[in-house]
Amino acid sequence: MSAPLFLLAPPRSYTSLVNAMLGQHPQAFGLPELCLFNVERLVDLWVGVEGENAERGAMARHGLMRAVAEIYGGEQSAATVNMARAWASAREDWDTGRVFQEIVARLHPLVAVEKSPSYAIAVPRMRGLLKAFPDARFLHLIRHPVAQCKSVMAINDGAFTMKVNAFEIDEDYAIMEPQIAWHDVNLNILEFLEEVPPAQQLRMRGEDIMADPRTHLAAIARWAGLRDDDEAIEEMMHPERSPFACFGPITALFGNDPNFLSGPTFRPHKPKIPPLDTDLPWRKDGRRLYPQVVELANEFGYV
Amino acid sequence: MSDDALHATPDAAAVAEAPKPRRERLSPAPVDPVTGRPDPSLLKPHQAALRQAVVDAFNAKKARKFLQKQVHHISANRELADGIKFLFDEHGRPPGNVPLEDIIEERRMVEYHVMWIEGVLSEMRHRLIKIREVEDYALDMLARSEHEND
Repeated sequence: MSAPLFLLAPPRSYTSLVNAMLGQHPQAFGLPELCLFNVERLVDLWVGVEGENAERGAMARHGLMRAVAEIYGGEQSAATVNMARAWASAREDWDTGRVFQEIVARLHPLVAVEKSPSYAIAVPRMRGLLKAFPDARFLHLIRHPVAQCKSVMAINDGAFTMKVNAFEIDEDYAIMEPQIAWHDVNLNILEFLEEVPPAQQLRMRGEDIMADPRTHLAAIARWAGLRDDDEAIEEMMHPERSPFACFGPITALFGNDPNFLSGPTFRPHKPKIPPLDTDLPWRKDGRRLYPQVVELANEFGYV
Repeated sequence: MSDDALHATPDAAAVAEAPKPRRERLSPAPVDPVTGRPDPSLLKPHQAALRQAVVDAFNAKKARKFLQKQVHHISANRELADGIKFLFDEHGRPPGNVPLEDIIEERRMVEYHVMWIEGVLSEMRHRLIKIREVEDYALDMLARSEHEND
C-alpha cells in the first residue's frame, strides 16, 4: 500500500487548490475532503458527535460519498452515490482508520492525497492519521495570517472562529478573533509534527506555490518520492481536470470548498503579502496582530 | 532550483530544523485533553457569558439573513435564491453531473420520506393519546381503590 500524503493547514490556506494539483500527478490520486478522522467510527459521520449539528454532518459526508462513488463505481452519479451509501453501511462499525486504509489500498499504486482542514483543529485527529499510516507524509501549508484571517471572516460570517473557540474575551467584551484560530491551529500542527519523523514532513508557504508553482510542486514531488519530470509537473498545473473539481451529484454536491468547486482552474499569480504590522480589516478598534502571532509568522518566513 | 536551495529558504524549510519553543494557545477556552479541542464549558462564568452573547448575536444575524433571503426569494417570483446561485454557470445551467432527472427524483424521494415520517409521527401521537387515557384511567382507579380501603 502506498503511503498517503496529507495536507495540514488551517482553512483558507490554498489547500483545495494544492490538493487538487498534487492529486493530478500521474502517480497520485487527489481525494476530496473525507473528514474520516474527525470521528472514530464510520457510523459517527452519520449519527454525529457532540456539538455538531446534522447539516454539517451531511456536508462532511459528501467528500467520502463522492470518493467511493468515483473509485468503486467509476463515476459520480446519484446511482453510484447510493452505492457509496451501501458501501458505508456495510462498514459502519469500522474504525475510520481502517476505512481510509481500504480506500488507499484500492488506489495503490497511486499515492492518495487528502486534506480535510478539520483534522488540524485537534491534535488527536492528526494522531489518528499517523496511527493509521505510520509512513504517511505531511505537508504543512502556511498562509499569511492577515490574508488567511480576512478570508476566514468572509466565509459564513467567520463561523470557523467559533468552531475553534477563537474569541478575544476581556472584562467587558468578547469578539470573534480569527488570528487566534490561525495561531492555535498552526500550533496544533507543529505540536503534532513533533511526533512525525523529519523525512515525512515538509512545510511550505502557499503564496510561494502560487507564485512559482512549477519549482515548488517539483520539490514536493521529489520529497514525496514521485516523478518530477516536465510531463508530471504539467499535469499538476491542471487541477480543474480532477474528477472532484466540480460539484457532485445532487445527493453529494460538495466535498470541498464551494468557491474551488465553482472555479477550480489555476491561474499563476503572485499573491500580495502584506506586512505583519498592517491594520486588520476585521477589527474596527485599530488593534493589530498579537505578538505571539507575529512571532509565529516570522518563523514561517513572513516579515 | 535544487532541493537544498529550496529547503534553505524560510518559506520551505524542513520542519525538523525549525526551533521548537513551547508556546501557549491563545484561545481563552482550555483544551479538553480527550478531544484536543478548546472546551468552552471550562471558561470562567463571566467569560462564558460574554462568549455566549457573541454566539447568540452570530446566530441571530444568521437567522435574520436567512429570513431576508427567503423573503427575497418569494418576492422575486420564484427567482433562484442567492444561496444556490453559485451552483449554476453564467448561463444558468446546472453542473454537468447534476441532471434535472436526478434533482426531480431526489425531490420526490425527500417528499416521500417526509410523508412517511409524518405518517409515523401521526400514528405515534395517536398511540400516545390512547396510552395516556389508559394511564389516567388506571391511576384514577388506583386512587379510588386506596380511598375505599381507607
